[in-house]
Amino acid sequence: MHIFETIRTANHNLFRNKVRTILTVLAIFVGSFTIILNTAINSGVNSFIDEQTTALGGDNFIMLMSKDSEAMMSEQMSASTGPQEFTEKTNTLGMLSNEDLEKLKNIDGIDADSFYSPTPLNGTGYITSRKTDKKYNVGSAMILPPGNFNIPLAAGTLVDQTDEAKQKNQIVLPPEYPQALGYERDEDIIGQTITFALKDEFNGTFKEFSAEVVGVEANGIVSSQFGMLLSRALYDEMYAFATKYYPEDYEAPTYYVMATFDNTRFSEDEIKQIIKDAGYSTWTIKDLMGTIRTFFDVIMIVFTIFGGIALLAAAIGIVNTLFMSVEERTREIGLDKALGMSSGRVYAEFATEAILLGFWGSVFGVVVAMIIGTVANTAVHAPGGFLEVFPTFDLFKFTISNVLPIIIVVMIIAFLAGTIPAWKAAHKNPIDALRYE
Amino acid sequence: MNSVIEVKNLTKVYGKRSTAFTALKNINLDIYEGESVAIVGKSGSGKSTLMHLLALLDRPTEGTVKIDGVESTKLKARKLNRLRNRSFGFVFQQFFMNPHDTVLENVVLPLRIAGKRRKERKELATKALKTVGLSDRIKFKANDLSGGQKQRVCIARAIVNNPKILFADEPTGNLDSATGDKVIDLLFGLNKKGVTLIIVTHDDDLAKLCDRQIRISDGKIIEDTGVKPKVTKAASAAKKTREVENTTKGKAKKAAAESVKKPKATSTKLKSTRTSRTAKTSTSSKTTARTTRIKNEKGEN
Repeated sequence: MHIFETIRTANHNLFRNKVRTILTVLAIFVGSFTIILNTAINSGVNSFIDEQTTALGGDNFIMLMSKDSEAMMSEQMSASTGPQEFTEKTNTLGMLSNEDLEKLKNIDGIDADSFYSPTPLNGTGYITSRKTDKKYNVGSAMILPPGNFNIPLAAGTLVDQTDEAKQKNQIVLPPEYPQALGYERDEDIIGQTITFALKDEFNGTFKEFSAEVVGVEANGIVSSQFGMLLSRALYDEMYAFATKYYPEDYEAPTYYVMATFDNTRFSEDEIKQIIKDAGYSTWTIKDLMGTIRTFFDVIMIVFTIFGGIALLAAAIGIVNTLFMSVEERTREIGLDKALGMSSGRVYAEFATEAILLGFWGSVFGVVVAMIIGTVANTAVHAPGGFLEVFPTFDLFKFTISNVLPIIIVVMIIAFLAGTIPAWKAAHKNPIDALRYE
Repeated sequence: MNSVIEVKNLTKVYGKRSTAFTALKNINLDIYEGESVAIVGKSGSGKSTLMHLLALLDRPTEGTVKIDGVESTKLKARKLNRLRNRSFGFVFQQFFMNPHDTVLENVVLPLRIAGKRRKERKELATKALKTVGLSDRIKFKANDLSGGQKQRVCIARAIVNNPKILFADEPTGNLDSATGDKVIDLLFGLNKKGVTLIIVTHDDDLAKLCDRQIRISDGKIIEDTGVKPKVTKAASAAKKTREVENTTKGKAKKAAAESVKKPKATSTKLKSTRTSRTAKTSTSSKTTARTTRIKNEKGEN
């Protein structure tokens, strides 16, 4: 009923003692600023991780490999257990045979069409364009993945997946290649033809292939590992040239297969178990990102605790401020009550003051955190900044859904802190309050 | 005769058992509409306790206080608050103003508590300040006023809600005699317009100005000069006004109330000339003197 009146009065009373109010607000500010900044980093990191995750096909992505390669991997990642004794079984070097692939394709829940086993081209090669005399290393060049791999692009599109388009020589370039090839912006190279060359290992000459650039990859942790992505036609042509001196029955070794599973029917743990039971091992995005996330989560928890402690101290500050205010205004409260103000309204006015302290403190925290966050986001992406290579990685991410709950929680804490002083004010006896000493 | 406050067997005990202190013993008292009553007594006599009980600021240990025939001790907190807010005005020795607020903000306090709208508050406060002759100080900070001016602001605050009963607790206690006289004139001017005035004081000179003196000692009434015939006249005048108010509704009623407060208001402003005439006649003789006093005061300020 009198809600605006109450808020206005509370705010007016609050700023009667400006210094005290501002100091209390500052205390709340420190706590909420820490928590907000920290939440913003966490959501920045998580959304970057999420973006990288979707680059690999999202939550239903799974990597399939032999049991041995898992053993090899875990050996690489953990402390060495020393040389293992030789047996026929362990000497397969973790490769998957065609037989294995067929077996994996037949597992219920695994999408056989999604199988993607990128075999990089072997050989010596370079890339160049009409705009430059320089030649550049190719790095890794693979066939483009099936449509469910959502690789973030800085410009253009992924190579066309239609059958017709697969016949064309098309390519998606990794980041920074356009600039090296003489194009100022990523967009400028789209639709241009560049030249690929592979060395004939026998006579030392280079054979050139032309390809149309259809896209440029954005920088990231996962996407940059894809390297050059070639259309089926281009890949086949270059693969044939690179392997022309190989035995006719030569098959490139397959160490792992990327695939998607039906996550409407199976959970990640279930599909992992099924594959384990079939005698293979798996690796998912969670396994990859889990460690990174855990690391950030731990940091986040530590900083949130710091922020929480600061807020607790601030809450005691609120109690103190309001107690002083109640004492100072004893006579005023007595007069209000003598003139017919209800205890409820006295309570409401002091409780509102507490909530307003929380409000100003947290809003101040949000504003300063946003300013610092925005400046920092720009700074880390500037030339020389430590995130220069990841343009899509916003270190601090502020959204209504991560800022608003903090403001509300701080206001609730402030209200709880204000409860005791407000109660004390509400229960002042007008006669005692007005008694003159 | 119409009693506004009816007190029966009023007893107030502070503390419990061994430390119990009986501040008031079995007080019986009727206060009539339009009276000016002085409650006199030495410090610690129980006069303030009596005022607190009459003003419903405290609950009696025993006995009843009826305001306009309504038994107040049985009222719930909300109704009690409302009754105090609408029917009473308070003037204190120590003023009790919010020193950093403006005069206007101080005066509108009872209206703010009553939940009146901003515009109405300002209108009523301006009127009340005009009555005490401080219209030109409306935007001043309360702290920047002199003691006499402060007490007049307090009177404006006390009458802004158009109360029936005005309680004044040592209203001149903190003022020198010259400024005190002005405040006294103001209070009695209001009384003559029909407001029941109850003054608590230890000052016999001030008490003598009242129609009736009630002397308290050790929690008992030791002297009550009783109702003087003059009071009867004032009461009947007030009664007449009220009757007129009752016969006319809405705006006319309000206008009548205003005209009682401010007899200087021109009748053209009023909706009902009949009301204003009646009101004017009933108060004109008594207000003339007061009006001149206010004018003098204004001139001095």
